Amino acid sequence: MSTTRASIRWIRADLRVRRGQALLTVLAVAGIVTALITAATLLEDGTNPWRGLFAESRGAHVWIHTKDAPDVTALSRLHGVTQVAGPYRTAPVMLTMDGKKSPVALRGMQVRPPSVAAPLIREGRWLRSGDVDGVVVERSFAEALGLRVGGPFTVTALSGASHPLVVVGLADTADQGFYPEWTPGLAWTLTTTLARVEPALGRSESVTGLRLADGEDTLPVAHGAVTLLAEKIQRMSTWREVRASMELDNRLLGLLLALFGVTGLVAAALAIVNVVGGRVLTQTRDIATLKSLGYTRSQIFGLLMAEHGALGLLGIAVGLVCGQIASSFALDGMPILPLSSVPLLSIIGGTAAVVLVAVALPAWRGGRTPPIPAAPAAPPKGRLSRVARLALLVRLPPALVLGTRDAFTRRVPAFLSIFGLAVPMMMITIGLGVWATLDDFLHHPEQVGQAAALTVRPDKLTPEDAARIVGADPEVQAAYPGSEVSALEPEQTRSVLARAVGTSAQPYPFSVVEGRMFAGRGEAVAGQGLLDLLGVKIGDRVRMTVGGTPLIVHIVGRVVEPDQDGEVLSLGLDSLAAKDAVPPQFYSLVLRPGADPAAVRARLLAASDEGLEVHRVVNPAERLEVVRVLIVALIAVLALLGLANLLTASALGLRDHALDLAVLKAMGLTPGQVAATLVTGTGLLVVLGVSAGTAAGASLVGGLIDLQGHTSGVGAGIGRTPSALTLLVAVLVAVGAALLVTLIPARRAVRAQIPVAVR
Amino acid sequence: MSPPPPPIVNTVNLVKIYQNGGVPVPAVRGVDLQVEAGQFVAVMGPSGSGKSTLVHMIGGLDARTSGEIWLDGKRADTLNESAWALLRRQKIGFVFQFFNLVANMTVADNVELPALLAGASPREARERREYLLGELGLADRADAAPAQLAGGEQQRVALARALANRPSLLLADEPTGNLDSRNTRDVLRLLSEVHRDGQTIIMVTHDARVASLADRVVSLLDGEIVDDGAVGPARRRPRATAGDVVELRG
Repeated sequence: MSTTRASIRWIRADLRVRRGQALLTVLAVAGIVTALITAATLLEDGTNPWRGLFAESRGAHVWIHTKDAPDVTALSRLHGVTQVAGPYRTAPVMLTMDGKKSPVALRGMQVRPPSVAAPLIREGRWLRSGDVDGVVVERSFAEALGLRVGGPFTVTALSGASHPLVVVGLADTADQGFYPEWTPGLAWTLTTTLARVEPALGRSESVTGLRLADGEDTLPVAHGAVTLLAEKIQRMSTWREVRASMELDNRLLGLLLALFGVTGLVAAALAIVNVVGGRVLTQTRDIATLKSLGYTRSQIFGLLMAEHGALGLLGIAVGLVCGQIASSFALDGMPILPLSSVPLLSIIGGTAAVVLVAVALPAWRGGRTPPIPAAPAAPPKGRLSRVARLALLVRLPPALVLGTRDAFTRRVPAFLSIFGLAVPMMMITIGLGVWATLDDFLHHPEQVGQAAALTVRPDKLTPEDAARIVGADPEVQAAYPGSEVSALEPEQTRSVLARAVGTSAQPYPFSVVEGRMFAGRGEAVAGQGLLDLLGVKIGDRVRMTVGGTPLIVHIVGRVVEPDQDGEVLSLGLDSLAAKDAVPPQFYSLVLRPGADPAAVRARLLAASDEGLEVHRVVNPAERLEVVRVLIVALIAVLALLGLANLLTASALGLRDHALDLAVLKAMGLTPGQVAATLVTGTGLLVVLGVSAGTAAGASLVGGLIDLQGHTSGVGAGIGRTPSALTLLVAVLVAVGAALLVTLIPARRAVRAQIPVAVR
Repeated sequence: MSPPPPPIVNTVNLVKIYQNGGVPVPAVRGVDLQVEAGQFVAVMGPSGSGKSTLVHMIGGLDARTSGEIWLDGKRADTLNESAWALLRRQKIGFVFQFFNLVANMTVADNVELPALLAGASPREARERREYLLGELGLADRADAAPAQLAGGEQQRVALARALANRPSLLLADEPTGNLDSRNTRDVLRLLSEVHRDGQTIIMVTHDARVASLADRVVSLLDGEIVDDGAVGPARRRPRATAGDVVELRG
């Protein structure tokens, strides 16, 4: 096109004089795209190690455990099955380590690793033909037990015979979940070794993996296998269960990022509208000149779209790269797969569309600039705004009054500036609220349903001895006996966890946020997840099968429930059948304030001569520490957006009042007062935007976190608003930084020689 | 006798009425103006007499309310905005009172811009620019930014830009309105030189001395032509500078 060359000259010249602003646009868009891509990677279970492991090991979708080796040919002929792994003979053995016994499934393998579902060696090596005593251990199991390559692996078969084996390698697998979520632990050994450890075929089972053409088609294959093998099948597992057991808390992280990303995108769109709009306004004369030289309306539109749109698209490209890097940092060391193309393309497409629309609005306005370059570009109205009149009324210094008047001479840009500052500030406030909520989780675990810092299982001791040792510890405030059984919900299709801790008379300090605590037999409290699952309200009675015993449960309250997606029924031990309740499986220990759980744990272990099994309760917030990094990064991006808005508002203010400066000086204002006038004009918008944003953020954050809590099953009641002090500091920092940023160009403008005659 | 070539500009009962808060304000009230090729016409009149509006309408910068505009024998008032832009690109050069150079671009880029816009290759545009700046005595300022130039230099650059595409019509809106007398003289000398080379010029001015340079002076008052007279060639002294001629008309 004939205008291309001329347009390129124009764009190059324009970008040369506003490098900083252009860079800001690119960075802001890049930041948003980074957040969105990282969010999508986290949400799309790319972060679930299962995905990577499954792809890397060419895992099997379905695992079938049978008594004897099944008919492999028949299985492989099932519709949808592409390959078969095994069958592998697997024997249950007991691993003895430092006096602790852990069940292990010992699986017989060949020297040559299989083509489907091959264990992925991470340390050491795979089995060799001479390894009569060698085992390769599943990595999470090895890590939990402190097993190392070259270390002993002494197993006891069901017959009671002990076999000293040696670990030769550690491997990852997608065959089963991580230990201890998935038990027993898994170890591979040569079939000959397995035959020596467990010669009796009757005491072992056969494990066969099926790799399917389409992982979504598990159900028909499973049905086919059941029909084929009938009662030979002992159990079956699918990739979904494995994946679910490997699921991390990335969902919350991803949702948070997505929230920030999407709102950030809105903020970015506003910033772009502001920046481009401001630029178009300041260039009105130049654009008019271009038109008088023969640019058409659509060519001006295209020119502006090309210049500002290209910056946005460059930002998207940079964001793409940063997103990949950020994702891999966020999931330090975890095998992740890149984002699949659909969400990636929708992020790129969506952001590009938002950016282009945001550019198009001011560009369209630019295209409509009248071609008479002499047309006045000054603000149309010059009368005092109400705010200014108010300022006059209270006898503020003249610089403030004049600045206040200036702030609203252009109504629409003024409101866009306020809004453009308010949105990032709102998100920053929400970020601070999330921070405060995390702090609250850590400092007041009892408010999030984690009053107990330690869980003690009697293990080798009798429950009475355990209770005595626990009760004797000076820092244990209370020990609540408890048992966990599975409860079947009314339709009997899905089991949930029923956790009985404490008794109806002396209940465990669950954090009840709605209704009341259970106070009698048959009464229970539930997490939000369970209420949603059952579709019941507080006060309803539900027939459930708790630990095999039918029970009509009266749900009297809702608790904050961070475990099991909130699908937990909590009740008193006296509500359970005696066979489940006596003796209690564990004791939940509430420690005295200030007690160190690790110290108490060590003391209890020493007192019981290592006979107790003492676990620290993991606070969900500890797993969410990465959120804080994220909040800091997002605040940086949002601050960039705010800065872009601010610079535009400031530049526009300067431009509108460039002529006034001479007049003001002539009227006898000192350079300081003139600068103050300019700063006030922008500063007022900043104060309004920041205050509005903070107020909106503070009123939204509790609700948003609770909403997230509700949908994740934890339940509402965890959201915290940042403290008043934090908010005040945030507002002061934002306003102070903004004023500083405006002061520099204002001072420069005041010092510069003012062309009185221009225009 | 063959029919005479059509006038470069022909306006028929041209009217422009601005709407100022719902109140119609007539700026141009039925102007009939013919400008022949090679003529140098000065449009004079006091402030608010509609002279700038008239020139803007002839250049398509402002839409007419009624009437006809014919450029080079073709009707132009019915063109849409884009067609006007294309027409300006090829046939019309503008010089404004405040120069209106694109501030971010160098002098060279400013002058090359119209040529590039009209589809010239970068080389052609550069050669044309070098020629024009050389003619106007600005060859050594090609890489300067407009803000670094004095007012008269800026207006010479603007003139170079207006002439970049060899327009058939040069419209100048108070080209000397913002210049001191020395720069005024320089710019006027340039205008008369390009006129001598055959350039058709319509120049708006309120300065009688400036107007006296033209072949013909059209006087506007309240949007109507009140006087239209040729400055007789006999009375014109071609080598004279503007300062030598003091002649008031209308």
